Amino acid sequence: MIELTINDKKITVEEGTTILQAALENGIKMPNLCYDKRLKPYGACRLCVVEEEKSPRLLAACSSPVAPGMVVKTDTPKLRKIRQTVLELMLVHHPLDCPVCDKAGECDLQDIAYEYGKPETRFIRHRKEAPPDIRGPLIELTSNRCILCGKCVRICDEYQGRGALGLIGRGFPAVVQPAFGEILECDYCGQCIDICPTGALLSKPYKFKARAWFLEEKDTICPFCGCGCTLTLGIREGRILRSRGKEDNGVSGGNLCGRGRFGFDYIYSENRLKTPMIRRYGELVPASWDEAMSYISDSLKSISENYGPFSIGAIGSHRCTNEDNYMLQKFMRNVIGSNNIDSSAAFGYALVERAFGQKGHHIDLKSPLGKEIIFILESDLSITHPVFGINILRAKREGSKLIIADSRETKLTRHSSQWLRIRPGTGVALLNGIMKIIIDRGLFDKEKVSKVSGFSSLESVLKHYTPDKVSKITGITEEELMEATEIFAKAKSRMLSLSIGISENTKGLDTVLAASNLITLMGDSPDSLQIPAEYSNTSGLYRMGIRPDGSTGSPGNGKTISEMLYEPDTIKALYIMGEDPVVTFPNSIKINETLKTLDLLIVQDIALTETAKLAHIVLPASSWAEKEGTFMNTEGLAQRVYRVVDATGQSLPDWQIIRNLAWTMEKDMGIKTLEDISREVNPLLVSPFVSSEKRVFNPVLYTPGEESDADYPLTMVIRDVLQHSGSMSTRSKSLDLVVSEPLLEINEEDAERLGILDHTYVRVTSRQGTVYLKAKVTDTIPDGTVYVPTHFPHGRVNALTHLSHNGEIPIDIVKVEPVKI
Amino acid sequence: MQRLTIEDLKNIKEKHKATFALREGGYRAKVTVHMGTCGITVGAKDVMDALINEVKKNGLKDVTVGSAGCAGLCGREPIVTIEEIGKETIKYCDMNAEKMRKIVVAHLIEGKPVEDYALPHQKDLPFYNLQELRVLQNIWFMDPESLEEYIARDGYQAAAKALTQMTQEEIIKVVKDSGLRGRGGAGFPTGLKWEFASKVQSEVKFMLCNGDEGDPGAFMDRSVMEADPHSVIGGMIIGAKAIGAHQGYIYVRAEYPLAVKRLQIAIKQCYEAGLLGKNIFDSGFDFDLEIYQGAGAFVCGEETALMRSIEGKRGMPRPRPPFPAHKGLRDKPSVLNNVETLAQIPLIILNGAEWYKSIGTEKSTGTKVFCLAGAIKNVGLIEVPMGIPLRTIVYDIGGGMRGKKKFKAVQMGGPSGGCIPESLLGLPVTYEDIVKSGAIMGSGGMVFMDEDNCMVSVAKFFLGFTTDESCGKCVPCRVGTRILLDILTDICEGRGKEGDIETLEDLCKDIIAASLCGLGMTAPNPVLTTIRYFKDEYEAHIKDKWCVAGVCRDLCTFFIDEKLCKGCLACLRACPSKAIVGEKKKPHRIIQELCVHCRSCYDSCKFKSIKVLPAAAREASEAELLQLAGVATPTGV
Ligand SMILES: Cc1cc2nc3c(=O)[nH]c(=O)nc-3n(C[C@H](O)[C@H](O)[C@H](O)COP(=O)(O)O)c2cc1C
Ligand code: SF4
Ligand code: SF4
Ligand code: SF4
Ligand code: FES
Repeated sequence: MIELTINDKKITVEEGTTILQAALENGIKMPNLCYDKRLKPYGACRLCVVEEEKSPRLLAACSSPVAPGMVVKTDTPKLRKIRQTVLELMLVHHPLDCPVCDKAGECDLQDIAYEYGKPETRFIRHRKEAPPDIRGPLIELTSNRCILCGKCVRICDEYQGRGALGLIGRGFPAVVQPAFGEILECDYCGQCIDICPTGALLSKPYKFKARAWFLEEKDTICPFCGCGCTLTLGIREGRILRSRGKEDNGVSGGNLCGRGRFGFDYIYSENRLKTPMIRRYGELVPASWDEAMSYISDSLKSISENYGPFSIGAIGSHRCTNEDNYMLQKFMRNVIGSNNIDSSAAFGYALVERAFGQKGHHIDLKSPLGKEIIFILESDLSITHPVFGINILRAKREGSKLIIADSRETKLTRHSSQWLRIRPGTGVALLNGIMKIIIDRGLFDKEKVSKVSGFSSLESVLKHYTPDKVSKITGITEEELMEATEIFAKAKSRMLSLSIGISENTKGLDTVLAASNLITLMGDSPDSLQIPAEYSNTSGLYRMGIRPDGSTGSPGNGKTISEMLYEPDTIKALYIMGEDPVVTFPNSIKINETLKTLDLLIVQDIALTETAKLAHIVLPASSWAEKEGTFMNTEGLAQRVYRVVDATGQSLPDWQIIRNLAWTMEKDMGIKTLEDISREVNPLLVSPFVSSEKRVFNPVLYTPGEESDADYPLTMVIRDVLQHSGSMSTRSKSLDLVVSEPLLEINEEDAERLGILDHTYVRVTSRQGTVYLKAKVTDTIPDGTVYVPTHFPHGRVNALTHLSHNGEIPIDIVKVEPVKI
Repeated sequence: MQRLTIEDLKNIKEKHKATFALREGGYRAKVTVHMGTCGITVGAKDVMDALINEVKKNGLKDVTVGSAGCAGLCGREPIVTIEEIGKETIKYCDMNAEKMRKIVVAHLIEGKPVEDYALPHQKDLPFYNLQELRVLQNIWFMDPESLEEYIARDGYQAAAKALTQMTQEEIIKVVKDSGLRGRGGAGFPTGLKWEFASKVQSEVKFMLCNGDEGDPGAFMDRSVMEADPHSVIGGMIIGAKAIGAHQGYIYVRAEYPLAVKRLQIAIKQCYEAGLLGKNIFDSGFDFDLEIYQGAGAFVCGEETALMRSIEGKRGMPRPRPPFPAHKGLRDKPSVLNNVETLAQIPLIILNGAEWYKSIGTEKSTGTKVFCLAGAIKNVGLIEVPMGIPLRTIVYDIGGGMRGKKKFKAVQMGGPSGGCIPESLLGLPVTYEDIVKSGAIMGSGGMVFMDEDNCMVSVAKFFLGFTTDESCGKCVPCRVGTRILLDILTDICEGRGKEGDIETLEDLCKDIIAASLCGLGMTAPNPVLTTIRYFKDEYEAHIKDKWCVAGVCRDLCTFFIDEKLCKGCLACLRACPSKAIVGEKKKPHRIIQELCVHCRSCYDSCKFKSIKVLPAAAREASEAELLQLAGVATPTGV
C-alpha cells in the first residue's frame, strides 16, 4: 500500500494505482477524456494534469503511478488555466453542432467544457473537413466531432481484440477511420459507441430518436446468451429506443455485444402475436382469450381422458423466465399429471449434467483470468459467450497461454499462442491423444490419479490413441500435438473450455466426457472445465424442472424431446412454450412430420413462428421486456428482468397464461400472483452450484462421423453467427442489417472446383433434404468443409441436419452445387 | 573470414600496418577519396574511377588508393586526401574526374602538388585545427566497408576487453565516470541509463540504437553510420553486455540508404567473424543485431514511439512511466542510445574515463559532433571539445557567414531548439550553458542565419515542421502547434494584430507544460526564443507591416537607392517579372505595380543599393520613398 496526499487529503492506495484512479476512488473529481480503466493509460487529452510537489513537470494523472509521499494538487489556478487552454484547443475543430447531436446532454466533452472551459475562444479557425461517415450498418462516425482520444480504437483493438478502427494520418489532420477499407466491417459490438466521450460515434438505429434528457433509463437483463449482461434500456413514450452498457454494471461490468446492444428491437417485429389464434377450416384466425382457454381446456381434457395424461407433452423455453418455466412444468405435473416435459437443453446442458451430475459443474465467467493455460476445444466462445470471450482475451493479455483447437479461423485463433487446426468433430480423438501422451510421459500425479475409479479402463481405451493415429484423425502434426500437451500438462493452472448446444454439431456427450476425463487426469477440480450454458435462461429452466424425469415426485420418467418431436404417435398433444423447433432443432423435416400427426399442438410465443404456423392454437405471450421474472445466467446467478414497456396487444406473460388455463380447467395450482410463484421458485434459485468431489473416469472412444463420399463430398459444420442467437434475434431489424440470411461458407478451393462464386446461390443437399443458400467464399475454413448457421427461419438449414440415435446432433455430409439461373 | 579471437585482432592490426603503412620499399603514398553521401551526390564515384584508371595506366604500384567517409567540409566535396611519406598531407576539394587525372600526373608522378585545387594546409586551417577528433577520427581515414581496416585502427579491442575482462558493473562504472551524456538531445547520463536497465531482472532485454536523425539539416549520425558503422556496433556490443541484453536493433530511417547498406555490410562481416552471434570472443556472451528501417517520421525518434515502431505498430509516443529501462520494446527492459553516444563507447572503454573527461567541462565531458548548415561559410561536419565558445565555432571553424554577411542567429537543437543571437555567442557549448539561452544542445544541428533571414519566418519554418510531424496524439501539440503556425502565418502575411505576441507566448507556455512527449514540449522553443531575442522584428511585422529582411512578400517594398545604384543591370536581369527599368551605368528603378516581391533583385545587387521598406511604401510616391529609405526604422529599434 502506498500513502500519498491529494488536495491535502491523506490517502492510501494499492501500489500500481495511478494518481487518477487514486483520486477517483477517494471521491476527488478530475476531468478526463481519454482514460478508461479497461485500457492502457494513453495520456492524450491532457485534462487530467496535476501538480506534484517534487515533480518539475505537470503529471498526467491517468498515466502516472502513485509513489510514496507524493503531494498532489488537482485544482490550482495553473491547472485550471492549462485545462482551459486544452479545452479551447480541443474545441477548435469541434463543430459545436450540439443541437443536432444525439450525444448532447450526456456528452463528456460537453460536460467538461461546461465545467472547466471558458466562454470565449481566441482561436476560431479550423473546423475539420468531415470525411464521409462510415457507410456500414449500425454505427455512424462523424469525424469532425472526434477529439482523437483514441478510446474507440483502443477498446476495439486492446479489449475486443478486433482492431477494426484505426488512427489514420498524423498531426492535425489525423482522423479515426475503419482500419481496413472504407466501410466499417467488424463485430458490431458497439463498445466504441459507449466509450466515445463525444458524439463522433453514435448508434444508427437510435439516430435522431430522442434527446438524452427525455430518455428514461431502466436496467434489465439481456435476453440473448447465457452470460446475462445487464442492459440499460433507454425508453421514451413507452418504447425502448436503445440499449447501452454502464460502467461496472452487471456481470459484464458494462461491456455488451451487438446482440445486447442492438437486438432488443426483436420485440417490435411485425409478426408479434397480438391475440390468440385458433385454426378454423385450416386457417389460423384471431380469437378471444376466453375462446382460446376453453378450446385448450376442452381439448386437453378429452385427450387426457381418451389416451391418458402421458399422451400430453410440453416443451419449455430458455427464453422464458424461471417463473414461466416453473409454471409450465407445474402445470404438466400437477394439472395434467405427466412428466413429458423437456427443452432444447437436452442437446447441450443436459449432456453436461449427464457427465457430472447436477452438482458437478460450476461456471464462472471470470475463470479464464489468471490461468496459466487456457485450452479451448472447437468452440467460438467469443461468439456464443461474448463476456467469456472478452475475459479469455484479457487473460491472454495478462500472460495466459491460449491454445485453440478449431478447424475454423476465429478471433480466438488469431489471438492464440497455438492453433491446432483439427478436422471438425475430431475433438474426442484429440483429447484422447493428449491424455495418452500425458500418461505415457508421466505428466500427471500417478499416485493419486490411478486410484480414481475407471483409471485402468481409461488406460486401455487410450492405447488406441497413439500420436501418429491421432495425427491422422485430427490432421495436426504429431509435433503440434506433443507441444500442446506438454504446455497444457506442465502448467500450474488450467482452464479447458467448450460450448455445447443446439446450434452446433461437432461436439456431444462423448466430448464432454473426454474433456472431463482430461481434467480428472490432471487432478484438477471440476471447475477447470468450463462448459457455459447457451441461452439467457438455459440453466434456469433446467433447475425449474423442465426435464423429463420424476424429480418432483410424479410417476416415472417422462418422454424426451427426441421421442416427442421425432417419433410420430408417441404423444397426442404438445404444448410448446417459447420455442421454435421447426427452425432451430435438427431435422426439421422429421419434426414437421411428427407435429402434423398431433391431435393438438399449442404454441405459445411472442411471434408467429414457423412452429406456430403448424399449431392448432396459438397464444400470444409477452416479451422479456413486457413482464417481470428472473433469468439464471450460466454462472447460476438469478437476476431479475423487469417490465419496462407495456405488453403488445393482448399478450400476457407466459406464467399468467398457464395460470389462466389451469383456472379454466378448474384446477387450483395454488398460484395467483407472481409472488406466489416466487415463493416456490426462490429456494430453487438460491441453492448454489457446488462441485461434487467424487471423480470417475468415463473412457470414451472417438466415433468418426459420417465420412464424406462421392455423393456427399463435403462435411457441414453448424456454427453461430456473432450477431445472432437462436432464431429470436433474426426478428431484430438492427441485427438483420448486419447478417440477414444464412451464408454457406465454403473454402476458396472447393468453391473454385465446384464453380461457385462469392455471394451466389447454391443448392445444398444432404441425406435429409435440400435447401438453397447464398455462398460465401472464404479462406477461414479448411477445404472439404462448409459452415452454416441455423438461426434464420427462411434458410431452413435444419432441413439438412439429423438427430443421431442417441439424441445428439452429428455432423452431416452434403453436396453443394451452383444454381444456374 | 573465420571466427576472430583477441589474438587475431592483434595479428590483423600488425599485418595491416606492415602492408599499408607508408614506408620506404612499400607504399609511398595513399590517396583517399571521401565517399560520404555528400561526396557521392556531387560525383565522388567519378573521381574514384578516374583515380583508379589513372594510377593503373601509369603503373603507380607504390600508391595505394582507398575510400573513407565525409571529410567534414561538405560544401567542398568531392574531397581527396593525399598522404605521402615525410610530406604534408594535402586535401583537394571541389574535385572532378578531370582534376583528379591532372593531380595524379602532377602530384603523384611529378611531385608537384596542384595548389590551385588544394585546401590550405590543414594545420593552418582553423576549420581543422580547432577540432578534436574522437568520434570522427576513423571517418576521415578509413574504408567503411573494410573490417580489416577498422581492426587495424584498434577496432573491436574495446569490445574484446569489455566481454572478456570486465564485469557489467565495471563497464557501467567506467561509462558513468566518463561523464558521457546521451548525444540524442536530452543529454541523459549514459552510464546511469545502463545501470537502471542492468538492475532490472529479465531474461530478455534489448539494446537499441537510435539512428532516426529527424532534425532537418542534421547529418551527424548519418555520417557516422555511413563511415564508421563498426564503432556503433562495437558500442552496442559493450552496452548489451553492460545491461544483459542479447538482442539489439539499429533503427535507421529508410531515407538513409547508404547508411543502411554500410551497416548491413558491417553486420554481415561481424557475423562471419564471430563478432556478433553466439559466444563472442569465447566469452560466453551472445548478441544478435538487426537493422530496422524506420518510416521516417520525426516522432519515431522519440524513444517510446521508436520502440512501438519496431513492434510494427503506429509510431506514437506513450506516457512514461513505465520507463523503457523497465518496460521498453515488447514490454521488456530496453536501452536506447543515440548513434554518436554509442560510437563514443569503445573509445571510453579503451582509453578510460579519465582520458575521456580530460577535455570538456565538468558536467559536459568529451567532444560533440555538430553539423554546420545555413548561411555559414564552412558548411559541414565538425567535432569540437565541449566547452568551446560558440563564437569560435561561428567565426573560426565556420569561417563566418557566406558573402561577408552579418551573423544574426544560430538555431541549435533543430525544431526542438532555439535561436541564439550574436550577444550570446560567448556561451560555451555545454548542456548546461546552452539551455540558458532558451535553445538546447540537441543532437548537433546548427543552422546559421544572417542579416537576410526573417526571424518570424524562421520560427514559422520550424513550426511548420513540427506541426506536420506531430503524431496527433495529444491535444496541446496536435492543435496547439497548428494554432501557433496559423498565428505566425498571419503575422508573415500581414494579418498580424496587436496581442498576437502575447497570445503566442501564452500558448507556447501551455503547450510546453501540457504536452505528452518531447516533441510537443519543445516545439514552441523556436517561437519563444525568436520572440525573446527578436521581438522588434515581430513588432515591425505586426505594427508596421514591415519585414525588414525582405523575406515576407506581403510585408515589404523593394526600392533602389539611386545614390548607391551603379547601374550594373544585375537586378534588371534577375527580375522575373520585368519590373525593373534602367540603362547601363544609370540608376535603375522598380515599377512597384509590376513587382512581385520575390527578392531576386535584392539578392543580386552587389552594392547593397536595394532597400526594403514597409508594405505601405508601395503606395508612396517616388519622393516619399526616397525619404523613407533614408530615415525609416522599424518599431522597437
Ligand atoms: C520528437 C523527438 C524526436 C527525437 N529524435 C531523435 C533522433 O532522431 N535521434 C536520436 O538519437 N534521438 C532522438 N530523440 C531522443 C530520444 O528519445 C532518446 O532520448 C535518445 O535516442 C536516447 O539516446 P541518448 O541517451 O544516447 O541520447 C528524439 C526525441 C524526441 C522527443
Ligand atoms: S463495434 Fe465493436 S468491433 Fe466494431 S469498431 Fe466498434 S468496438 Fe470495434
Ligand atoms: S471517435 Fe470518439 S472515442 Fe474515437 S477517438 Fe474520436 S472522440 Fe475518441
Ligand atoms: S507531444 Fe506531439 S508528438 Fe508528442 S505525443 Fe503529443 S501529439 Fe504526439
Ligand atoms: S485522461 Fe489523462 S491524458 Fe486524458
